[in-house]
Amino acid sequence: MNHATDTMTQDVIQVLRCFQQREYSGPMHAHTRFFGDLGFSSIDAVILGETLDERYGKKLPFGSFLRELRDRGAEDIAIGDLADFLCRHVTPRES
Amino acid sequence: MPRIERRGFATYYQQTGSGPDVVLIHAFTSNLSMWVLTGIAEALAQNLGLRVTSYDMRGHGATYVTPSGYDSATLADDLAALMEAWQMPAAIVVGHSYGGVVAMHTAVRHPDRVRGVIVADSYFPGLSAIEPSMPHAEPWRDLQRTLSRAGIEIGDQVDFSRLFALIQDLTADQWEALDPILGPSGTRWLGHLKPLATTTAGHEAFEAAGLTADILRTIRQPVVGLYDEHSAFLRTSAFLQDELPSCCVDLVPGAHHLAPLDNTAAFLPLLEKHLARLTTAAGIAGSEYDRPRMA
Repeated sequence: MNHATDTMTQDVIQVLRCFQQREYSGPMHAHTRFFGDLGFSSIDAVILGETLDERYGKKLPFGSFLRELRDRGAEDIAIGDLADFLCRHVTPRES
Repeated sequence: MPRIERRGFATYYQQTGSGPDVVLIHAFTSNLSMWVLTGIAEALAQNLGLRVTSYDMRGHGATYVTPSGYDSATLADDLAALMEAWQMPAAIVVGHSYGGVVAMHTAVRHPDRVRGVIVADSYFPGLSAIEPSMPHAEPWRDLQRTLSRAGIEIGDQVDFSRLFALIQDLTADQWEALDPILGPSGTRWLGHLKPLATTTAGHEAFEAAGLTADILRTIRQPVVGLYDEHSAFLRTSAFLQDELPSCCVDLVPGAHHLAPLDNTAAFLPLLEKHLARLTTAAGIAGSEYDRPRMA
C-alpha cells in the first residue's frame, strides 16, 4: 500500500469510528469489510457515501465504484477498496 | 442526511443530477440503496441529464416506521406530498415490484404529477385474478427454501405478516445460523424487517386499495413494463400491454424478479432507453404520445 492510500485508509477509519453511533470497537484496517465485519446494512452504505461527500466537499461517483466492484464479483467492500477509490478523487483531510 | 417531514413523519431521500425529474421507488421490504448502490441513480443522472430522486417509503430504510398506511393509495399520496415538498411539479416515476404499484397509483390519484411510469416486474394486487399462482410465486419459494435451511419455516404461501412476526421472535442462535446461509447483507436485510412486525404493512401491501383492473385501464400517461424473462408475473405484463392505452413492454434477460439488483447490466440500458424516450415525449407539449408496441 502506498503512502497516499495508507493516509486515506486512516482517514476513512477516523470517519467510521464515529459513524452512526456504531458500537464496533475492534481493530480496523485496510482489509476490514463493511458488511461482514462492521455489520453495515445497505442503507448504512448509502449514508456513509453521503458523509464522505460532505467531508470532501464534492459529489463522489460511488455508483461507478460499486459497479466496478460488482463486476469483479466482490460481495463485500473492504476499507482499502474505498480508500483506493477516494485517493483517485480527493485528498485526505487534516482532521 | 437529507430528510423531509411530511404527513407526520420524516422521509429519507437522495437526489443527484439536474434536469427533468425522475423518481425511483424501491420494492416492498427494500430501500433506496437498491438504486444507489447499483449505480443506477448515478448513471441515469450522468447519462441522461436527469435530476434523479430516490426515497425510502414509510417503514423502509431510514424513513420513519408508521403503524399503518402501507397500501398503495396511501403511499401514492405520500409521494405526491413529497413531490410538493421537493418543488417538483411532475416527474417520470419508476418503481420496482411494489414500487411500480405505488407509481401507477400515483398516476391515477395525482395525474398532473406523473408524466410517465416505468414498472419493473410489478405484481398488482388488483390483478390477482389473472395471477392465480402469486401466493406460490418463485421469489417467495426461494426465500422459504433458504430460511428453511436455518430451521425457520415461513410457509409456502406469501405471507409477509407471518414473516415479520417470525423475524421479530428469532433467537440469537437462529440469527447465528442464518448468517452463513444468507450472507452478511442478507442477514442485515432480514434484520431491517423487524420493525414492520408492529405494523399492518404485511397485509396492506397486498390489498388492491382501489387500483383495480378497470382503474388501471384508465391510465393515460405512457407506461413501460420492464418484466423479467423468468418473471412470475408475465400475465400481468400481457395485461398492461394489451389493456392500457399507452403501454409497451420489454423483457429483461436472465432475471427472475430482482433484475435491477441481479442483472443491472441488462436492466440499466433498457431503463435508459425508455426514460430517454419518455423524457422526450413528455417535453413535447401538446403532442400526442405515440404508442409503441415492442416485444
